[in-house]
Amino acid sequence: MNPEIVLIKGTFAFYSVAALLALCYLFSKQERLSLWMLRLMGIGLALHLASFGFRLHAFWQIPENRFFLPINSFFGALSYLALAVAAVFFVIEREYRLGILGAFVLPWTAIGVGAAVIFADPAIAGLVPALQSYWINIHPMVLMTAYAAFGNAFGVGLALLIQEHQIKSRKPSELCYRLPSIEDLDNLNYKIIVAAFPTLTVGILMGGVWAYNAWGRFWGWDAKETWSLITALIYAGYLHMRFVKGLRGRKAVYVSMVGFASVLFTFVGVNFLSELHGYLSNE
Amino acid sequence: MRLLRSIRFNIFLGLLIALAAAVGTLLPQVPEVPEKVSQFHQAHPQWSKLFDFFGLFNIYQSWWFMGMLGLMAFDIIVCKLWNKPPDVGMVALPPEINREEEIERQLSRKEAALKLKPYQALLRSDLPFDDAFGKAEGALKEAGYRLSPEFRGASGGAFVATKHGLQRWGSYIAHIALVVILAGSLVKGLFGFVEMVPVLEGGSRAMQNKPDWEVYVDKFTVRYYEGTRTPKIFSSVMRVQQGDRELGAKTIYVNDPLDIGGVRFYQASWGAGGMFRSVTLKIGAQKLSLPQKKRVKIKGTPFTVEADMMLPNFTIKDGQADTASLDLQNPAVRLSFTAGPHKTSPLWLFENNPELCFVEDENGMLDHAPKPPFQIVAIDPVLFSGIQVAYDPGYRIVLTGAILWLTGIVSLFYLHRRRLWVLVEPDDGQARITLGGWSSRGPKEYEREFQGLVKRLGSSLACSDFQISRNPLLEVS
Repeated sequence: MNPEIVLIKGTFAFYSVAALLALCYLFSKQERLSLWMLRLMGIGLALHLASFGFRLHAFWQIPENRFFLPINSFFGALSYLALAVAAVFFVIEREYRLGILGAFVLPWTAIGVGAAVIFADPAIAGLVPALQSYWINIHPMVLMTAYAAFGNAFGVGLALLIQEHQIKSRKPSELCYRLPSIEDLDNLNYKIIVAAFPTLTVGILMGGVWAYNAWGRFWGWDAKETWSLITALIYAGYLHMRFVKGLRGRKAVYVSMVGFASVLFTFVGVNFLSELHGYLSNE
Repeated sequence: MRLLRSIRFNIFLGLLIALAAAVGTLLPQVPEVPEKVSQFHQAHPQWSKLFDFFGLFNIYQSWWFMGMLGLMAFDIIVCKLWNKPPDVGMVALPPEINREEEIERQLSRKEAALKLKPYQALLRSDLPFDDAFGKAEGALKEAGYRLSPEFRGASGGAFVATKHGLQRWGSYIAHIALVVILAGSLVKGLFGFVEMVPVLEGGSRAMQNKPDWEVYVDKFTVRYYEGTRTPKIFSSVMRVQQGDRELGAKTIYVNDPLDIGGVRFYQASWGAGGMFRSVTLKIGAQKLSLPQKKRVKIKGTPFTVEADMMLPNFTIKDGQADTASLDLQNPAVRLSFTAGPHKTSPLWLFENNPELCFVEDENGMLDHAPKPPFQIVAIDPVLFSGIQVAYDPGYRIVLTGAILWLTGIVSLFYLHRRRLWVLVEPDDGQARITLGGWSSRGPKEYEREFQGLVKRLGSSLACSDFQISRNPLLEVS
């Protein structure tokens, strides 16, 4: 058995149970659940890193791949994305101690790793010449970290919508008291986006510099490039509506969610449109 | 003008650009996949006319899309000139003035200035005025503040301290950066060019955009990962000549182009055009090496054999032999056998599939033939190196824009500006310090920071008592 695969399956198990605990914690006052959620998440993250380490080792057996990160395949990319979502969650958790958010964010990590295990091919292949550049260690990592942050913001947005629904309903349930206030959730959603938006745009520009060095053009309206720009425009719209027009709460969350839909499309959907950036086009 | 300055209009414009860009990824585009566009034309002739009129098959170069981008750039400039953001932190002291009465006047203005600061503190120091003033300046410098011109007189002194002042300009820099990037793209569109120059190994070809530049490829190499058709590396030993003068020479790889005064030569692709050095044919125990279009005698028979044509990716189109691409995926060779005056119909043989054989009639139509008693065992094709030549005089402008964007966006979102208005007045051998604070940070975070700062000032100024208040006159959002 390939240790990488064993470890990633273990990761999937731990992430899934942690996500489940997070959901239970939403409806129960047991603080222990939250604690165990974090512990299992921590173990999952450690297994995930170990699995990534094995992948790196196997990847570097091919001399052309040496010192490049194994995120050229859909499997590697999904796995890294889930890892980044978990890491960003930990950063937010450390800062704000909102265990309740796990219920809205952690399912994404389980889905990401699960999709990688079930749908993606974990085989390792040599990098094509265009990808043999130090930029592969920077440009996709920066962008996927931004995606991961947007994923967390999406979870926060979801929590806000539920909270708003609770407050407006005649009989708010226990959940209403357990979720943070709408204002806090709105601020958190905004803060995550404010951190992720510059990361996204800088990642796009880095891609331009790489493209100029590999193909002679900074920008080529390739489907992936275009969709990343669309994502950036939507989030820029969100920031302007918030900054200048003072948009808050539910409507702001809707805009940010459209942004996240665009993120998902950029990451997954574009594979069916793009020749240059398609993970699937080589298969 | 009013419309162009409105944020609402520009958000709408931005989303419209996003929408148009999205449509461009769903419809086939001429610069990317011209063959799919012509397929679409054939399948939907009526729709195509409409789509062509609006340039939907070439959206990113269409007049209306470029127009929207241009309008966006224009609006950004207009917005940044007219729409000054509300800035409660911008109550500065006037330029340095040394006259005593001016200081008096300044001090009397403290009420007005403080009104605009959301957080205030009043400290009473046991130190004499001069000491207290110096120590206050020192403590704030230590905390990373930059001090603006101070005013000192017999009746007191005042100064403004700021930190991360660049944040105020972040939005301006980031927006101007976008205009710079668009301008760079325009420069590229107007003065730059891109062309594909396929050059056969050992041959040369003149460029279209620089007709007196001749591109030579002396050697082309491609290596594959074992057992796959995935390239591991491909490179060209190339040079560029202008008459007898060599302008530049280099072994170019993907990601490592040759640069001649801004004109860059990229290793983009390779392929097989149909030329070959030799084809190895196995007949029984004999192996014959056939150069292109040269008859070779088969020992022990009256026949000669000739290989005249090679297709790199064989396919059948309208009953005739064709190639699907210039990629050596399914190479096929056309052979004909001659014995005296008799010539057989040409046969197509495949390197990858020895079982398969087609016979071609005089009209070029193909028909299945039984498995022949000979096989193609190797093809040594002459490859061409696809060299993409690009000249982009706008790149440095775009790069400058990118760096500006990074500077602007980081200072806008990751720096928080703080501004303190400090007034020190002598009071019976002691000193009274009034502090007004403003920051672009969130009110909760800044309130905590402000309290910490006041305590710190209090201890370094040996203050006996201090009080902190939120400015009731100002709604803090």
